[in-house]
Amino acid sequence: MSAAEGPLRHMCDGLFLRCVSVSTPSVSWYESVRPRKTPSPMEPNNDVALDIIITNVVAVFRTRCHLNLRTIAREGSNVIYKPEVGKVLMKLRKPRITASIWSSGKIICTGATSEEEAKLGARRLARCLQKLGFKVKFTDYKVVNVLAVCTMPFQIQLIEFTKNNRPIASYEPELHPAASYRIKNLKATVQIFSTGSITVTGPNVQFVATAVEQIYPLLFECKMAAR
Amino acid sequence: MLSNSSPVPKLYISVIDDVIESMREVFLDEGVEERVLEELRQLWESKVMQSKAVEGFMKDTLNPSNFVLQLPTNYAQTLRKPTASIVIPAGQNLHNFTAKANSSSTLATFSLPPGVSYPVQIPAGVTLQTSSGHLYKVNVPVMVTQAPGSHRVLSQPIQHVLEQREPVAHQETTTNSTVLQTIAPPVNDLYNHPPAPTGPVIQPTEPQPVACQQLGQGQCTSTELPAVQPPVVQKLLHSQLPPESPSDSPFTLEGIDFSPQPLDMSPTSSFVGQLTGLQEKAGQMQVLGSEFGGREEEDMNNAEMGTLPKVTENTGAVNLEHSEDSVKAALMKAVSYNDLLDIVQLDGVCDSSSEEEQAAGGPEDDFLGMINAEALRALQEGDGSSDGGSSNSNNSDVEDVMPEEEEDPLNSGDDVSEQDIPDLFETDNVVVCQYDKIHRSKNRWKFYLKDGVMCFGGKDYVFSKAVGEAEW
Repeated sequence: MSAAEGPLRHMCDGLFLRCVSVSTPSVSWYESVRPRKTPSPMEPNNDVALDIIITNVVAVFRTRCHLNLRTIAREGSNVIYKPEVGKVLMKLRKPRITASIWSSGKIICTGATSEEEAKLGARRLARCLQKLGFKVKFTDYKVVNVLAVCTMPFQIQLIEFTKNNRPIASYEPELHPAASYRIKNLKATVQIFSTGSITVTGPNVQFVATAVEQIYPLLFECKMAAR
Repeated sequence: MLSNSSPVPKLYISVIDDVIESMREVFLDEGVEERVLEELRQLWESKVMQSKAVEGFMKDTLNPSNFVLQLPTNYAQTLRKPTASIVIPAGQNLHNFTAKANSSSTLATFSLPPGVSYPVQIPAGVTLQTSSGHLYKVNVPVMVTQAPGSHRVLSQPIQHVLEQREPVAHQETTTNSTVLQTIAPPVNDLYNHPPAPTGPVIQPTEPQPVACQQLGQGQCTSTELPAVQPPVVQKLLHSQLPPESPSDSPFTLEGIDFSPQPLDMSPTSSFVGQLTGLQEKAGQMQVLGSEFGGREEEDMNNAEMGTLPKVTENTGAVNLEHSEDSVKAALMKAVSYNDLLDIVQLDGVCDSSSEEEQAAGGPEDDFLGMINAEALRALQEGDGSSDGGSSNSNNSDVEDVMPEEEEDPLNSGDDVSEQDIPDLFETDNVVVCQYDKIHRSKNRWKFYLKDGVMCFGGKDYVFSKAVGEAEW
């Protein structure tokens, strides 16, 4: 599948950011959320464009009605019934998502690669449940988590990075090879690896992009060597 | 050769038996006649056979004599296999025969193992003895299968035959020989002759002649149409075979529609002429023509008369068994088989309600786990689209006129559109089983199943262990 890419976003010092959703063939989130910014033709050629690849979007919604899990397990298609936990997993192919369905009517939808996809998948899921005979409503839809990865064009000195960002960053090499950096106001967590790859998790895509923006200069300071 | 005994018919029979037996008391308590129970059983068995989901579904060995003679498509290749040992599952008369394999003499005795499941392929030159003791001389390799519901149809002609057999029975004395000897005549060339006239054949697909000949002690009542078996030596082991009397014991070949092919084993063309005459006559026969039997007889006898003196060439001697009572033995049920095909079955296999639903339904809750083929789910997905309703969507339409974004923008489901791939493919394949382990990684599935029954491609199979892999 072709990667859908947003327009380059000028960050600083010739850095451009672009959020990419791997599977969405249509217009990316970025264009729908922000006005398109055409890159000026005056940019120096040594500018760097960073691709933020969204790997997972988690959303929840409520159906406001009790769901009989056994009925769903019996008559639904592409379902996995987990009675020991008390939920039913329903997988969709088209937006490739997996939904956990509880009998209370709460549904968690995971696996989407963009916010639109997540919403579309959630609605399709609700439609499926509706067809099974439940009086579902599509309420309280909310994206709760977005996971994205990004690769820096340089390697990072984690120890130095941690020293520079003492309270916010934490690094425990014996436990985990990445340093983690929490951005409180964005409620985002960035995990930084010495190879230069980072993973960002945040409440929505915008925050994730902002988090990358914020952390880039900090990483740039501690870079080890250019690739 | 012999069909592999499959566990499915046995299992089904045992299931049917169990259920019927356990219901017997209940029925009696309820005041329902036993006859109804028997009828239920017959219905059940016939339905199973009709569905053709099981190969060689054999009724309990009480009726072993109801078998249909069919011809294999390429019998020429399977001509000579005199070394097999087959015992016909005769009810009381289980005969064990020693197998003498003689390449040259082609004399061999066959014993079908008891409880052999039909269809059974009988090579050429075999003389079969059924439970009733009738001997049938097979001149052409035939396939013996179970005629569905045949026994019922038999009743009338059997009577008819029985009466006529009575006088014969008295004459039987010594020849209780249970030895069937076979002759595998060199009938290669015969089989290569295509059916000359386009008479109806035993099976529409099989243009081979059926040579089944019942030899009686007292009478050479042969039902063999293409009786051009000079090698048919009708010589009793124990007693000479008197020339056939025009038989009064017709061999009932119910529903026989075979077109006798001239087996020109002997150079005699006269036989051919006779046979062609027979063919034409056979062509006119009705399915359930007992008259058929009668007419057959005469011709047979005529042929017999001719063949008797021609005992010459052939190798072995044929042991003729005295003909006994019932003629249930060889029923050519080809046409009736076809008739059954025409009967539209509206339940059971051809049930209108989806099988997967039923298979996935209530009774299976008792199983530890119930696995449906993935295809079923895809199918269900498509089927499910017909359920539920726009009624729900209508409600939501009315409700959230204003607060669309907060509440329930599922208002139509039009936007939310359904799955684009509702019916991946139509399939009725069902597996009902227990599971040992089901494992999934991303979209790769591994199944470790046990103790299952499945309907695949219209046929039923059973397994005690099954392993599968699939990608979703």
